[in-house]
Amino acid sequence: MTVIIILMIPVLLAAAAMLVRKQKITGILNSLGYLIVLFESVLLLKKVLASGAIRLWGDFIYIDALSAFFIFVISVVVFASALYSVGYIKKDIERGVISDKKSKVYYTLFNLFCFSMFLVPAVNNLGMLWVAIEMTTLISAFLVGFYNTKESVEAAWKYIIICSVGIIFALLGTILFSYAFSISGLTKSLNWSDMAPVAHILNKDILKVAFVFILVGYGTKAGLAPMHTWLPDAHSQAVAPISALLSGVLLKTAIYAILRFGIIIIKGVGFAYFANLMMFFGVVSLVISCGFILVQKDLKRLLAYSSIEHIGIIAIGFGLYTPLAIAGALLHIFNHAVVKSLMFFGAGNIVSAYRKHNMNTIRGVIRALPFTGVILLIGCFALTGFPPFSVFISEILIIIAAFVHGSYLIAALLLLLLGVIFGAFIYNFGKMLFGNLPKGMAVTGEPLSGKIAFLFLLSLICALAIVLPFIKKDLLCLAQRLLQG
Amino acid sequence: MHEFILFGILATTYLMVIAKRVPALIRSFRYQSFFIFLVTLVAGFTEKQAALYFIALLILVLKVFIIPLALEWIANKINVDENLGLFVNAQLSLAIALVLTYGSFIFSRSLGFAKDYGLVAVTVAFSVIFIGAFLMISRMKAFSQVAGLLVMENGIFIFASFVSGGMPFFVEIAVFLDVLVSVIIMGLFVYRINKLFTHIDVNKLSRLRG
Repeated sequence: MTVIIILMIPVLLAAAAMLVRKQKITGILNSLGYLIVLFESVLLLKKVLASGAIRLWGDFIYIDALSAFFIFVISVVVFASALYSVGYIKKDIERGVISDKKSKVYYTLFNLFCFSMFLVPAVNNLGMLWVAIEMTTLISAFLVGFYNTKESVEAAWKYIIICSVGIIFALLGTILFSYAFSISGLTKSLNWSDMAPVAHILNKDILKVAFVFILVGYGTKAGLAPMHTWLPDAHSQAVAPISALLSGVLLKTAIYAILRFGIIIIKGVGFAYFANLMMFFGVVSLVISCGFILVQKDLKRLLAYSSIEHIGIIAIGFGLYTPLAIAGALLHIFNHAVVKSLMFFGAGNIVSAYRKHNMNTIRGVIRALPFTGVILLIGCFALTGFPPFSVFISEILIIIAAFVHGSYLIAALLLLLLGVIFGAFIYNFGKMLFGNLPKGMAVTGEPLSGKIAFLFLLSLICALAIVLPFIKKDLLCLAQRLLQG
Repeated sequence: MHEFILFGILATTYLMVIAKRVPALIRSFRYQSFFIFLVTLVAGFTEKQAALYFIALLILVLKVFIIPLALEWIANKINVDENLGLFVNAQLSLAIALVLTYGSFIFSRSLGFAKDYGLVAVTVAFSVIFIGAFLMISRMKAFSQVAGLLVMENGIFIFASFVSGGMPFFVEIAVFLDVLVSVIIMGLFVYRINKLFTHIDVNKLSRLRG
């Protein structure tokens, strides 16, 4: 029942967004709706951890601990983004950037986008998984090109073309998986729950080739380098609440898809094959993003490259393939989602107040936007893995796991690159946040809904240290289950 | 019979590689889709499955009529220079397509599709996929990206229908709808690009860098 509520609320809200005349009411409805979704997702996670997988509608929906975890992460970021949208869209309308009518389009697309993201971890059929992920691309392309400027349309075009090509390779991989399943003499099926238990009898060579296609295909969507080229454009040009969704959770849905196939590979071919590939893409992503972060001048692009970095860290976590590393990677998926959406909200406020993206020309944010400034200062430390914030905990888990595992080179590389990225972030944000207020810039108030979204995310960043001892067992249990498939 | 249609698909793909203008590209895509319709129809006869007839009908309606018509409509509407803008000239493109076909043959053989007509089908499928990807990167106009994507999708379809007897029915339908929607959306973006930039040369879309 909880699953149906989670999937139905976005659809109902999309319908409401088209019908309700006042955009303010739509915004509040959205926030309330996603608050319910958030509660339901917590219930769902508890239920699944306690009593095992849920199947619905003749195996169409299959929710195990992994899916429930991803649904929870998505619902956290979606709720924050819905809250933040209220103030952000109102401001855009007041400034005349978008019309009242276009705000309706925004809310409709926003809800459809959320629906497609919730669908990804919920479906059982691997073909439907592909359809759901392609749906997220098609819907969010409009949200990337929403402002209809030259830059945003260019970003949307690159996004839709590169991701569509990537995802076609993923479809090829999916068909190869189904081929491996069908030649093993079993009944034709694309259901994950049918494939995973018999993975060990599938043809190893075909599985190997299929997984490369899957990794390249969904890896494009996940922003793994070197298939990441669309990401900085799309994430920097999208509407700010959507940037948060793209960076915070859309990338994670692709990671989810990779993990689903990864589990079959681990059982069918052995974990070394999966781990080595993940490790390779993880390290490449980390190194490439570090280079671009150092030379970046654009605020939102800086954050987008940081997403590639964090996806790299997550991939390395799965690549190490020990319970500790997987627990760290899962935790990092959550932490990065929370912190990155906080940062994109902050960046959205800065860009809308200063009307520019270039970090070299933005000064005195703390004076112009006191609330956002302070939150961004904390967020900047949190994002770069400074203790006591949550990202620190998950990063240190992965680094410890690397040391324990004996991968000293990986651990050293992580420490070095994270140090460099920390320096680049503090340098850029220090310049932006402090300094004098530019001439002729008035200090304006910030909308309440945005502030609530900030505080909600901030409390999640800080609370982890307190909650961790209580959820430690659940987390390790989840990681352990993942190891066994 | 199967092999004949499959070689037909390959021939139409080569036609797309040497096409220099937008209408020729769309026309060749229509031929290719027609051959895929035939192949599905024949498979429907031999396997006696009602679902295959339905899918064949969908291909006929969507890929032979609606999608090419939609592309032609957009091409007329934006009224730009019809040349595709080849980065790689037609002769060299054909040579590359040939190499890609041979590469697909080696690849499918190494995957173990050496029995009966499976090898031909899979070779054709992979060639169509790779040549589609090649079309996307070697042509200037945004149309060729859309067409290349459709060609890749056609290749996937051939592959799916031969290696595993097609995907489950509802997945097949979902994928079809998805392709239709994505073509419409890409068409919209081509239209928008033309309006904002007054051209659709993707190599000139370079405002976002670094």
